[in-house]
Parts: sequence; C-alpha cells; structure tokens
Amino acid sequence: MLLGKKIMLFDGGFGTELEKRGLGGIPEDLNLTHADDIRDIHLSYSAADFITANSFGLNRLKYRGAYKIDELAIAAVENARVAKKAVFFDVGPTGMMLAPTGTLSFDEAYEAYAEIAKITRGKADGYIAETFSDLYELKACILALKENSDAPVFATMTFGEDGRTLTGSTPETVAVTLEGLGVDALGVNCSLGPKELMPIVERLLAFTSLPVIVQPNCGLPVLKNGKSHYSLSIDEFAFYAEIYADMGVAVLGGCCGTTPEFISRIASLKERNVVKRKAEKKTVVTSCTKAVTIESVRICGERLNPTGKPKLKQALANGDYDYLVGEAIAQAEAGADLLDVNVGMPGLDETELMKDAVVKIQEYVELPLQIDSSDPKAIEKAARYYNGVPLINSVNGDDKVLSAVLPIVKKYGAVVLGLCMDSRGVPKTAEERFAIAEKIVRRAEEFGISRHRVMIDTLVLTASAEQALVKETLRALEKVKTLGVKTALGVSNVSFGLPARGLLNKTFLAMALERGLDMPILNPLDGEMTGVVRAFGVLSGTDENSEEFIGLYKDYVPTASAAAVRKDAAETECASLHDCILRGFKSKARKSCESELLTRKPMDVVNETLLPALDEVGKLYEAGKLFLPQLVSAAEAAKESFAAVTERLPKGGRDKGTVVLATVKGDVHDIGKNIVKVVLESYGYNVVDLGKDTPPQNAVDACLKHKPIAVGLSALMTTTVPGMEETIRELKKARCSCPVFVGGAVLNSEIAKSIGADYYTKDALEFVKVLEKATGK
Amino acid sequence: MFSADSSELKNRIYAYLGYHGAERSESTDSLIDESLEEVKKLSRFVYRYEYFDAPPSFLSKEPYLSYLAGSTGVIVSVTTIGLDIDRRIKLLSKTDAARSVVLDSCASAYLEERADEFERALPYSLAPRFCPGYGDSDVSDIRYIFDLLRPEKFGITLGANNYMLPSKSMAGIVAVNGAANMQCKGCILEKDCRRKKEGKKCFSEKR
Repeated sequence: MLLGKKIMLFDGGFGTELEKRGLGGIPEDLNLTHADDIRDIHLSYSAADFITANSFGLNRLKYRGAYKIDELAIAAVENARVAKKAVFFDVGPTGMMLAPTGTLSFDEAYEAYAEIAKITRGKADGYIAETFSDLYELKACILALKENSDAPVFATMTFGEDGRTLTGSTPETVAVTLEGLGVDALGVNCSLGPKELMPIVERLLAFTSLPVIVQPNCGLPVLKNGKSHYSLSIDEFAFYAEIYADMGVAVLGGCCGTTPEFISRIASLKERNVVKRKAEKKTVVTSCTKAVTIESVRICGERLNPTGKPKLKQALANGDYDYLVGEAIAQAEAGADLLDVNVGMPGLDETELMKDAVVKIQEYVELPLQIDSSDPKAIEKAARYYNGVPLINSVNGDDKVLSAVLPIVKKYGAVVLGLCMDSRGVPKTAEERFAIAEKIVRRAEEFGISRHRVMIDTLVLTASAEQALVKETLRALEKVKTLGVKTALGVSNVSFGLPARGLLNKTFLAMALERGLDMPILNPLDGEMTGVVRAFGVLSGTDENSEEFIGLYKDYVPTASAAAVRKDAAETECASLHDCILRGFKSKARKSCESELLTRKPMDVVNETLLPALDEVGKLYEAGKLFLPQLVSAAEAAKESFAAVTERLPKGGRDKGTVVLATVKGDVHDIGKNIVKVVLESYGYNVVDLGKDTPPQNAVDACLKHKPIAVGLSALMTTTVPGMEETIRELKKARCSCPVFVGGAVLNSEIAKSIGADYYTKDALEFVKVLEKATGK
Repeated sequence: MFSADSSELKNRIYAYLGYHGAERSESTDSLIDESLEEVKKLSRFVYRYEYFDAPPSFLSKEPYLSYLAGSTGVIVSVTTIGLDIDRRIKLLSKTDAARSVVLDSCASAYLEERADEFERALPYSLAPRFCPGYGDSDVSDIRYIFDLLRPEKFGITLGANNYMLPSKSMAGIVAVNGAANMQCKGCILEKDCRRKKEGKKCFSEKR
C-alpha cells in the first residue's frame, strides 16, 4: 500500500451530489432504491484512491429506515466497487451520547459497530470512521472494527473553531489516543474549511507519526436566499491542498460542499511523495479533554488507594463512589496533574470495581488516571473503558507479568509504568535495578510499545530498614534516565517507621527531583510536598520567570496551615451557628459547630440549634423570603455541621435512616434529585444516591441491600415517566415495602398516584416534611 | 458579540430559580453574576438552521399548524452552548450544590438569550421560537429536526427518550412573518403551572 509514502486521495461530498439529483429521504436506503444514481456518484469520484461507501448512518442505533442493515451494507460496498478503487466502508457516529454523560453504554455502541464489522468483513477494503465529535464513542467504534475485521481502520474527528471537538478533546489528545488504539491513519474531516482547519492539522501532525488525513468542508457556509452554501472555489481548495501536502499530510479529500471536480483538480498531488516529518516522541497521558505531557515535573496524586484509609475502604465496600469522587476532586483542586487509582481489597471483585471507579472518576475529574493494579484482568477492563490514554501501573521484570500486561498496554495504547523488581524481589544495587529497567524497555519494544510510552519506577525503600539503599534508588534513577524514559517514585515510602516523616519526605523529594525524577507519586493535599515541586521548578529553571510559582505563592503566609484550603466566597462574620446556617456559610458553620461542641453535648447542638435553624430556613423558603440557591446553601451548611456532630457520636448514634434516591432509567436530568439529596442529608438522613439513568433493577438491588425507610425517584421528561412506573412496579414486585416518593417537573399528585407512587412532593423541603411525618421521626 | 441586556437575562435566571417575589439577596445576586461570567467563558455557542418556504411535512399537524398560521416560511434550527457547561454543573454538584443550581439556571437562560439574539439578527421578521414539547406538541418530533439538520455532525446528540445532549441545547422552529399562536392549552403542567398562575408563560414572547 502506498499509504504514508505517496499522497493519496479520498473522494468528496456525497450529500451535495444527492441533492443535485433530487434524491431525498434516508441516504443509505438509496443504495437499494437508487443504486444507479449512487454508482454514478461513485464513478464521478474515480480520481480518488479511496471510495467511501454510502453508509454513514448505517448502524443499528442511527438507522431508522425500513431495510435490513446487512442488505444495505452489502449494497453500499457493491455500489462503491463500480469505481474500481479501494472501497472504504463509511462509519459515522450513533447520534447518541455515551454514558456517563448520556445513557448509551460503551458496550451498546461497541455492539452496533461490531455488527457492521461482521457484516462487511472480507467485503470492504477498509473502514473510515469519520465525523465523530466524541473520542469515547470513536474508541468503542475502533475497538469494534479492529476486533471484528482485519481491514485497515482510518479515523477522523470534527473540531470547532476553538480547536476542540464538541466533547472537548484537543488535537493532541485525539492524536495520541487514536495512534495508541492502532488506527492506520487519523485526522480531521468536516467541521470547517481548509483554511480554518490548518492550525488543528498542524497540532495533529506534531503529535502523531501516523499518516494524517484531512477532508475539509468547502469553506464556511454562507447564506444565499435563505439557504446555506459553501463558499470556496475549486482553485482556492486546490491552493490549500498544496499547502497541506507541503505540511506532510498523507491523505486528502473533501467533505460537505466539495464535488468530484474538486478531487479531480487535486489529482496531480498523487504523484508526490508524502513529506517526511518528525513527530515529537513525548510521554503523554490523557483524559478525554486533557493531555498531560511528562516534560516538567508532574504530580501524581496517591490518595485513591484503600491501604491505610479506613473511610475509603468502607466506601468501596459499600459501593459508595461519592467518597472516591470527592477525594479525586480534592486532589485535582490541590494541583495534581494525574491521579493514581487503586481499589484492591480482599473480598471485593477488583475487576468490576476498578472499571466502575475509573468511569465514575472520569465523569467528574478531567485529569488523566493511573490504573494501579497487579491483576491483569482488572487492568484490561479499566483500560478498555477508560476515556483517553491511561498510565498503567504496573509491570516489573518478571516475564510472566510482562507477558500478561504488555499486550494490554499495546492494545489500548496506554503508557506503562515498570517497577525495577522481579520475582526475586527488589534488587539492592542500582546496576541490578537498571538491568531490570532495560529488560522492561526491551520487552515493551518487542511488543511494539516504543520507549516514550514506558516510565520506570526505581522503587523507594524505607530509610529506617534499608538506609544504605536510599541512595541506590537515586543512582538507579539517574541511570534509567539514560534509557530515554521518564521516571516515577512513590516518595513517601522513604520515611516509614521514622519520626517527622514530612521532613524526610520533603528532603528526599528534593533529592530525587535533582537527580531527574519526572513524576513523584505523593499526597497533593500536603501543601509542603507540592511546594517542594513548585520551588524546584524555580530553582531548576523549568518554571520560566518563576511565573507559576509567583502565581501560586504571591500571597503565601508562612504561619498559615500549608494544607490546601478552599476559600468560601463572601463569608463575612457570622454571629452564631444558627446565623451561619441561615446565611449558608459552609466552612464557617462547621467551625462554629466545632467550637459549640467543645462546651455542649452533641445532641443538644442538634436539637437546640441545628434543627431550629433548619426549621427557620424552611419557613422562610415557604414564605418566599428565601429561594432555591439560599435553601441549598443553608442545607449544605447544616450538612457540614451535622458531619462535625456525627464524628463525636458513637456509631449509629444519630441514625435517622437511609433514603435511596435515583433519577429513573432514560433520564439524565438530576439536578432536582441532587437538591433533594443535600436537603435530606442536612436533616441527618443517610442517602444512597444511585445517580441518573438508573435501571429498575439497580433500585431494587439497592433497596434489598440498604433496607431504606423511603425511595425517592425523579423524572424530568414525560418520556421517562413510564420508566418511573416500571421502577415502582419492580420495587413492589421485589417486596420492597418502604414508601416511594416521586418528583420532577412533569409530575403531579394525580400522575404519581396513577403510576403507583406513595407520595408526590413538589420540592426537597416538602419531601423532608412528608418523610418526617410518614416515619414519625 | 453577545449583548443581551443583563438585567433582562437576570430576570430570566431568577424565574428559572423559582424566584417568586422573595427579596433578592446580595449574596445570591453576586453568585448569579459570577455564574453568568463562568457560563460566558465556558459557552461554545452553535446555531444551525435551514430556511424552508414550505414547512417540512412533520409540521402539518397541530399545534404547529396554528403556530405557523399566516407565516410565509419557517426556520428549523438547533442550537447549543456545548458540553463544558454540563461538566462544570456536574462537578459543582459535588463541591458546591448551590452554585451548581445557579449555574444550571444561568446556562439555560443564557442559551435562550443567545438564540434570541441570533434570530433577531437574521434578515426575517420572526415569531417567538417554538420547540417540540411546548404546549401539547410531541417532544419526539425533535427527531424530524435531527433528520433535517443532522446536528450530530457538530456534536448535538439525541437520546432514546428524545432528550438532547449537551443538555443546554434546543431544537425548534421559528415562523417567518407569522402571528405565532402559542398557547398553554394541552400542556402537561397546565393545571399546576406556577408561571401561569403568576400570569407568565414559559415560551419566549419577546422579539
């Protein structure tokens, strides 16, 4: 194949050609109903090397016509054969948003594309997945095509004028993720005209060594007589095509508004060799929106690990991801660049837990994640459902481990962290550790994983037990750097068993940074540790003009606590705890409550201050003197105060019972449910929040597990009320006897009654009132 | 550049927040100001439309016929302010629920205002926008708009239950030179609608 050697051409716009022939309706149906017209269009694009089958919307989630998908798919390929060129099956998006943002599961998207791959396997010469806006959906598509066919896969995305896809991915993220997934060529189509796409293409070219495809629209649309038309002339299009060829683009074609004449006009480019270029080989990990290049020192947050953290252990055992997400957000806000995720705990299914944890954290936090497990099954599942390029922690020099994990790293395009140990343990000398690092790099390359996708951890042993080996770790680190790989260390291991651990950790961190450490794994909530990293940036010259440092420390007061503290805006002085709650001041309420608790019994604070304050808030809200944001702020302040009280009570000392809340299947509008949650918690109820788009069975399972005193269901759309009815039916069928509350914009008490709910409540406050009455609390 | 009168935008935000006569607190007011600034920064406004002399066939039924009565054409449109806002609202729901609620309302109001402003700049005399789901119209008619405009090409998606994502998106029609007979009759909330009790309407009437 000439791909990547000679410039090759795709065809151009199809819709315009259909319009010219007066053909409307579902375009894919025309493969059967107007095969001659479709073939004519394909023939008119004979100047191209690749002909795109008329199959853009042909997947079971998108297609709504009357024909069978397999007969249309086969007809689409056969029609395209008429041009006697390579036929690439056109694969477009499903038109639905994947979970967790939407409700379409990764597996459903995968299955839809796998079906297409199976139908066309051995028939099409390749696949072009194009016009995708969502990198996650494109990942499902690429995996489905590659796992169910052997033909080449090209992938292109659409970008906005701000250089990002609509789901927020940058060209860098797209380039490294798609290259990692093993596509044969990647690029951009549709979106904009060739002139506007140029900066995006430049950025793609800089971050991939794969052939890059560019299929622009025919300029930007302009309005003429109320209809939009594309503005670019054939000559202008050809002018930009020349520039793209000079930049190193390997495949050119057209999208909306381009015609066969455009492609014929640039046919002479096919004589030219693809311009050789050197994409930078950088170590890059990404989420769907954020690419983190390991160049200057990057902080990996270590707190998502149950070892020595009883609260996290308990949360994982309960399937309570809120705690995990809260920890992830706190580390992100404290300045971590990526986060380690470890959920290994005896008795729990690590494979499922790791997958769920990764998906849940990615729903809220934009940082790339480090999948930390010794179980290849857990690693594989998490890597599969991960959105972007993960860092996999870890492999070591043991052949068995390398053979189990490296294929996963290769398949999912991850970066891998190798530990300088093997089945014999951690070697003592730097030379032995270096030998293991060399082996890991070599084996990775044998699997097709280039060294810029390998990082090495030379392993920190504790100074208390192995004092002499601390310097071996650092010597090994220096040697490993000569391999051209980036390095990581779990810094705080050095101080186990010694007093003043913070002091040792900081000193060791500074020593390691000076020897070339790229990624310390540490607690980012410890401001002194992150401070060492920032200060190192200044002293080593990587923080140019000390810009970052000055930005972070210009108001630094040495006597203040070094821990990252969030400032509550507009928190002026409050006279009392009661006042703090009324005015919704979260941190002040907690502090005030804590000082009250020094002199008063916890339950006195609850009964004499917190509950009366909440009652007053409720009355003011009902009287229209406070409204929604103030109610929510007050509830949050009360919740913080209750948390302080609960810490001083014996376990279960103030247990008002559990309420299960869910937004029903098919509905993703959860803001109302979230308000109910905050208000319930402010009154001291334990809330199990099942989130949005909740299948009925999940609600049933939660009821059987948590034995709640009530279930609250919300729906915002008329179309999801049947889902609510089904959930209630399933709850009753499973003999969940607690009352079911429903709420949401489309409900009223009549509808609630008709679908079998016990109570309809119009807002969060009414929910609490009715619940208190119903349960006699 | 966006230039909607901010006091008018604020009134809309207060309405979305369920404000009905309470005294506006200084802290909520400044929270709205901050949130609105954040929405403006995060917004990635897109408005796409097609003009039709003769209404597409899915509009040949009530209530669209009444809405379009006397019009000389119709604009079918989709618009969004993007997914970054959804992400931010979601994150805030974990860290600052009050701000999350306010940002959600600000984003809804901002989308409406931006769409209104875009439509005002078009070279037509336009009626207030009408979206499937208003009044007793069928929300599933959004599918026809998607078939016509294929907004998935620029990232607006439609779920199985006819909700769009990004959540701050709209799909609707705008009558050209029409009288726009919008009505509450037939709306699922007709009996309980607080806005109606206060003499207000949920659909835009200002041009």
